[in-house]
Amino acid sequence: MPVFKTPFNGYSVKFSPFYENRIAVATAQNFGILGNGRLHVLELSSNPTLPITELVAYDTADGVYDVTWSESHDSVVVAAVADGSVKLYDLALPPSSNPIRSFHEHTREVHSADYNPVRRDSFLSASWDDTVKLWTVDRPTSVRTFKEHAYCVYSAVWNPRHADVFASASGDCTLRIWDVREPGSTMILPAHDHEILSCDWNKYDECIIATASVDKSIKVWDVRSFRVPISVLNGHGYAVRKLKFSPHVRNLMVSCSYDMSVCVWDFMLEDALVSRYDHHTEFAVGVDMSVLVEGLIASTGWDELAYVWQHGTDPRAS
Amino acid sequence: MAMRDLITGATSCPDPSASSSSQNPLASFANVLTGSLSKTQERVREIPSSNSTGSASQFYSEPLNQLPGSEFDKPFIEANSQGSEFINRFRSAGAAGFEETWGEIQRDGSQLQLYDGRGQLPPQLHQPALDGTPQRVLSTFLHSFLDSSRGGIPFHPTSLPVLGLSEGDKQCIRDRSSIMARHLFADKSEEFIHAQVNALLSSLDIDSNVRGKGPMPERFRELDDYWNESQGNVIQGAHASDGWISEFSQNRERYDNPDAWANSFEQQHGVNGWVSEFEHSQLSSVDQMRGMNMQNIAAMEQTRMLANTLAQNADPKFQNSKFFQFVSKMSRGELIIDENQVKETALPAPGDWASEYQQQYNHGDAWAGEFLNNKAFSGVRPEQWAKEFATERQQNGAVDDQWVDEFSNLRVNDWAEEFGQQVGEGAFGEDSSNNWAQAYDEFLNEQYVAKQRSDSSRGVYVFSDLNPYVGHPNPLKEGQDLFRKGLLSEAVLALEAEVLKSPENAEGWRLLGIAHAENDDDQQAIAAMMRAQEADPTNLEVLLALGVSHTNELEQSAALKYLFGWLRHHPKYGTIAPPEMSDSLYYADVARLYNEAAVMSPDDADVHIVLGVLYNLSREYDKAIAAFERALKLKPQDYSLWNKLGATQANSVQSADAIMAYQQALDLKPNYVRAWANMGISYANQGMYDESVRYYVRALAMNPKAENAWQYLRISLSCASRNDMLEACDSRNLDLLQKEFPLQ
Repeated sequence: MPVFKTPFNGYSVKFSPFYENRIAVATAQNFGILGNGRLHVLELSSNPTLPITELVAYDTADGVYDVTWSESHDSVVVAAVADGSVKLYDLALPPSSNPIRSFHEHTREVHSADYNPVRRDSFLSASWDDTVKLWTVDRPTSVRTFKEHAYCVYSAVWNPRHADVFASASGDCTLRIWDVREPGSTMILPAHDHEILSCDWNKYDECIIATASVDKSIKVWDVRSFRVPISVLNGHGYAVRKLKFSPHVRNLMVSCSYDMSVCVWDFMLEDALVSRYDHHTEFAVGVDMSVLVEGLIASTGWDELAYVWQHGTDPRAS
Repeated sequence: MAMRDLITGATSCPDPSASSSSQNPLASFANVLTGSLSKTQERVREIPSSNSTGSASQFYSEPLNQLPGSEFDKPFIEANSQGSEFINRFRSAGAAGFEETWGEIQRDGSQLQLYDGRGQLPPQLHQPALDGTPQRVLSTFLHSFLDSSRGGIPFHPTSLPVLGLSEGDKQCIRDRSSIMARHLFADKSEEFIHAQVNALLSSLDIDSNVRGKGPMPERFRELDDYWNESQGNVIQGAHASDGWISEFSQNRERYDNPDAWANSFEQQHGVNGWVSEFEHSQLSSVDQMRGMNMQNIAAMEQTRMLANTLAQNADPKFQNSKFFQFVSKMSRGELIIDENQVKETALPAPGDWASEYQQQYNHGDAWAGEFLNNKAFSGVRPEQWAKEFATERQQNGAVDDQWVDEFSNLRVNDWAEEFGQQVGEGAFGEDSSNNWAQAYDEFLNEQYVAKQRSDSSRGVYVFSDLNPYVGHPNPLKEGQDLFRKGLLSEAVLALEAEVLKSPENAEGWRLLGIAHAENDDDQQAIAAMMRAQEADPTNLEVLLALGVSHTNELEQSAALKYLFGWLRHHPKYGTIAPPEMSDSLYYADVARLYNEAAVMSPDDADVHIVLGVLYNLSREYDKAIAAFERALKLKPQDYSLWNKLGATQANSVQSADAIMAYQQALDLKPNYVRAWANMGISYANQGMYDESVRYYVRALAMNPKAENAWQYLRISLSCASRNDMLEACDSRNLDLLQKEFPLQ
């Protein structure tokens, strides 16, 4: 059964871009409010009836809110930690050598991390200290700090095509688009009337970006004509916590919400909700789609479970 | 709010380091705005579980043959080729600095240097896991906090064992729970969020006043003065027993907590009325209860309520929730909170202490039960309060969720009213700026504080000092004359003299109430009307006025009670209103009865007026406007009706129409202070702050005691960037204001 019980509450799950059967799960004790954190790296068996096994786990002094895989080294993961640090782990090294890096510049919880998929040498961290920071693995300090948001930044995501462009989603109700070569943000999109918790770029059209908000909705935007969203997706019953565009199907995306569900959407359909998965019994806060296996979805939540399943099947089916 | 300024560039970005310690009234305002969420839920497609058996073989590499929606997988924007260019255009020529750095990274960073063994890697942090009993208690407790978001159940402070949290831990909990609560309770009011967080924090013995990160960064320093000023209003004092102190401190935090500055209407009225009453009862019962284990009683009482609410939720997920089980156990007394842990009572605790404890506990249980049914045995008029309160309490308890939801559907500006909350509509208008928000925030808080005071003294009429009409041979007649002439403040004095002379004169009280209402003084109006109703419980005009004012205050159950009473006691419609219905009034029933009445006598303007009021309660403004317009056809000279129409139009975001209606009211009654103030609000709603200032000043010139209007004025002054006149406003320098803002 493709499910794994984590001792702490799940916060984020990411497929490895190198191994189709490997995922990283970020977890935090006490729902991330207080306590320790643990970063799990899990292996899916090639036989889906066999359980998921743990490759390695790293403990942290505070909750791990997000994780992202290195795009250049198959064994490196970056963890966003609630104590404000960004930590790098190398699975190839013994646990005693890990973390291989710990960057401590953010003054508040780091809520997301994203590795640059084009240049593959740098990554972003978004923090509750209202900033986004740009890092490379080998520099002891951040390359740049992007400080424009007026409230917590919950997510910062690289554009899949343009090595220098990324978007950040913030509790100040704006989405900002940045070019790291520019001094300030290049676009400010007042996307919602409520806090924006997540955003992601379409993998097929680099001008399309989606935002997920506390207002329960997902909006899809074309940054060339951002006055009105292309689409507004309603259906979640609580704040939408994370969303991810499909790497394989242009119009497909997956989202998870405090309503405990994981939803798959086709944002060009009038009846946009394609599927709803209700397998989590507490808030669903982490979701990802595999780049290597089409239709493979992973989710995690505060019910301390990480699921991996093929879209269209029941996550709980064994 | 912030984003608008960000777009327009109206404000600069604040320093985040300052914000991290900010107390943040403004922020709360922004969150109050978060009220209106779409409830529309799309039809959900169920996952066909029967398919699951075949899933194994295609688990990994086999994609679905036909992924739903893939037939639509085609470009939907033809201009795709422009996309890259577009993004590239982000880049202007001038920013070489960043580019260099970036380029440099690219060059240098092409080779990762992870393995060079520099050995400067920071050691892994180790911290003992928070295992053991305290950890379990904490975990369960936090779980219950998060769970409370699902049902919108108020989360009450519980006494928890000492968990040995460090200051750092406490700060973590404080900061993170505040931020998370805003995600979880997004469609609840800001006040609700605060109550939840504060309940959590006070249970964990965390000082919620030191807020690490408010909802939004602080922007305006001048707020601090206001803040300090209002601190003077904080009710001091503590109750004898610890349990109540925590209850009290929760209450107190509503004042102290900067984030509680923005208060929802709903909380200001229904629920807080309850809180203050509750507190009242506690005060009087503290003596009896001294020496008991207050914490457990309080916890029991709270959990029982919680359990009831939870039990009503049919969602199986909910029923299976760990939290639900915890709470049910606790409410049945199966779990008690011992000095340092949660215990099952089935396990007998050793020693005398335990039995003594148990005894107290049982006593407390009985008391708690009794208390539930009889919330109010103190107060000015016990029997009336008790009755009123019991119904309210019942409804509040049962439909709490609904209430909150309902409120959250309001755009906060939805229901601005004759009686005082009208600022709501203005403050949350589309073109609000941060200044606005700011000032509004202050206003809300002040009003809230005032409300807190007034709640305990609700219904207590405050007479003016030095009344020249005392001793007047016929003050009632004098008052009526003055009222007719539109000299409202004078009329108030004369009528006060009348009711001092004959306190049983319902007409005197009623007229006094109307004079106050037209003079834009709510609290006094309601107090006077309540006295009028006491003197004559069946006076139709009084019942109608009370129904209207409670509607204005968004106290639905009270409003329904009076409006139903109006029907009950009406000679024509008394027959269609079954007396047994008054036990459980629902909006739909009352609205139905009034619609029946309207069919019976379509020419009764009063029925249409009440219908208009009722539709305001349900926020069906179009219907409300239609009802008032019908009534106006029958009573075109009724200035208060024009005002009602105007207020309703303003609520349905037709501020321009509202101004026409107010103008009608003012043509009929030039000294109608409330209509002048409403006029100002409607102008403010349209962003015409200069205009609005003039109208507020005019209203205030006529009645300087119209507290609300002073607040509106302050808001409009800041919005109109007339900060230079704020001082004149604060010092209530009407001469200067009138000179500066003459009304053409």
